[in-house]
Amino acid sequence: MKETLLSISSPFSGDVTLCKNSWVGGKPSDNILSIVSGMHGDQVNGLYINSLLTRFLDSVVAGHEPDFKLKGQVQIFPVVNVHAVQSGERLWSFDDLDLDLAFPGNDKGEGAEQIARSLYTHTVDSTHAILLKTAHPHYEDAPHVQLVDPNRASKKMAQSLGLEMVQELIPTSNFKLSLFYHWLENSIPSLILSAGKPGALDRPLGDALLDGLIDLMVHTGVLSTVRKKKEKPQLQIYPQAGQCHVVSSHAGLFIPEVPVGSFLKQGQKLGELRGIYSGETLEEYSAPKDGYLVTLRQYPVIYEKESIATLLTEKKPGFWPF
Amino acid sequence: MKTQTVVSFKSPLGRPVEIIKQTFTAAGDKPGKRISFVAGLHGDELEGVYLCHRLIETLQQLKNTQPQAFLGEIHVYPAVNTQALGCTSRLSPFFKNDMNRQMGDNNDASFTAQLATALLDDLQAVSDIVVDFHASNLHLRELPQIRIIEGFDKKLVPLAALCNMDLIWVHPSAPVFESTLGYNLNHRKIPTLVVETGISLRIHQGFCEQILQGMIHLMRQTGVLKLEGPPQQVKQSLRVNPRQVALVQANHSGLFISNVALGDHVNKGEPLGKIIDAVQGKTLETVTFPASGVLFTLREQPVTYEGATLARIALKETSPQ
Repeated sequence: MKETLLSISSPFSGDVTLCKNSWVGGKPSDNILSIVSGMHGDQVNGLYINSLLTRFLDSVVAGHEPDFKLKGQVQIFPVVNVHAVQSGERLWSFDDLDLDLAFPGNDKGEGAEQIARSLYTHTVDSTHAILLKTAHPHYEDAPHVQLVDPNRASKKMAQSLGLEMVQELIPTSNFKLSLFYHWLENSIPSLILSAGKPGALDRPLGDALLDGLIDLMVHTGVLSTVRKKKEKPQLQIYPQAGQCHVVSSHAGLFIPEVPVGSFLKQGQKLGELRGIYSGETLEEYSAPKDGYLVTLRQYPVIYEKESIATLLTEKKPGFWPF
Repeated sequence: MKTQTVVSFKSPLGRPVEIIKQTFTAAGDKPGKRISFVAGLHGDELEGVYLCHRLIETLQQLKNTQPQAFLGEIHVYPAVNTQALGCTSRLSPFFKNDMNRQMGDNNDASFTAQLATALLDDLQAVSDIVVDFHASNLHLRELPQIRIIEGFDKKLVPLAALCNMDLIWVHPSAPVFESTLGYNLNHRKIPTLVVETGISLRIHQGFCEQILQGMIHLMRQTGVLKLEGPPQQVKQSLRVNPRQVALVQANHSGLFISNVALGDHVNKGEPLGKIIDAVQGKTLETVTFPASGVLFTLREQPVTYEGATLARIALKETSPQ
């Protein structure tokens, strides 16, 4: 069921709205899973994944997926920043506000604050929550889970997705303004699923993640299945200390030689930097350690001291199994 | 005047991206108080950039005529976010992030965050007092004012009172401030005044001259400058807290049309303006002042969404500082 939670009229055309799709199981249940995408206007993989989930859940409710039964409540918020999505930009140029720095919002404030408040209010009672995103501008992420201060519940949730790689984030000075922080503050087991690059739809990637998200719904209890439980890979959690950045010493044009998501051996070349005017090779980059290439520069024009790549190199020891 | 590069990053196609600082050293051997002025964290806020120009110009003249006046050291950082200033964008154009939300611990490895960290560390190293100049956003025009977070007010209000401002606004802390330059410097025990004046993309020369006089006065009173003649009189700023500020917001989306002027003394019930539907030719809302006082914030950008700020009033009972 599509529901409009907030509508702010526009002076000229197209209201600013916050909508959710929701599905409720046959029996009353306390389990509520919230899935949010479109926080930034250029993160389109999340829109696609949520569209697949919507189709799947409609199908479950209609009885066309005999292996699955809805037990709890799923609510999907496909688009948070409507104007930014419609203009194909990360932020909406009218206010240049990053909506993910507007939480917990204000229902009597400016438009962005009202949207943030409405989303916060409608997700704060969730029992589980997922934020779908892509890499930051100019980068591409291999599909991976991001957690802050992981606990047993969030780790189990991550494991149910079937992705091995978990990047542990260290909160930045503006983290308290994000939706994810407020979910954690309200003790909601939550994760960020980051995959792909901004401004581009990676359909195979989205299709591949669908099964994991369905498994996660089963894990959280909002969905039941008669299918046999799948073996999930062991979770590899990489703390900040195990995340290795490859940084440019020059400025120029970056030519990658490996795709994001590769396992690299120490010393393996990952790309080179060329002078834009001269064409000469200014610098070669190689993996400083064995590791998983979780983030790679996608936009080739590089300034000095920029991060070219992030490798996950040393996992947190001895914490799994529980 | 000594020109120094605080931080420099090679760029792919041309001049490096740099933060430049202009320093006026003390005349004597005895180290005096050190003050720093910063502008251009947001690339569309030009009032502070112009103010820094006026400061440099004034201090250079003073250096030529009264070199002994410089008891302390003065640093001016006139344009700290050069890429954003070059395209008049609030945000850093390359990453679309806000340099004044990248201050503090554990920030990411982005270019903007590295610039922010270098600036913060340099200011901490060379300053006893910092003034961070901002204009308002694209939508609102502000009377010259200093905004102070509660908790820092004991130290900052006496300094702010020296600055020839119309208003000193002490407001509660909130997480949104924790990644700003002002908060982080104050947190590191460097008293930092955050000035808001005018509107983005414009320069109000009158406001800038008023603030320039305030900055000269601040430097005299804090012992950075010793000038001949009696100190200039400065405005008695209104001091307000959130309870002494009335906020007027739009109840409709449309074009906001107003005939009042910033700084007006307004009375409850008087018209502030109207919101119109330009396509249908209708007036959607007639907006009146909810209280009497001094109009210190006024919406200038007419395109208005429901909930948007139209005006702020310092309530009449507010007493001068």
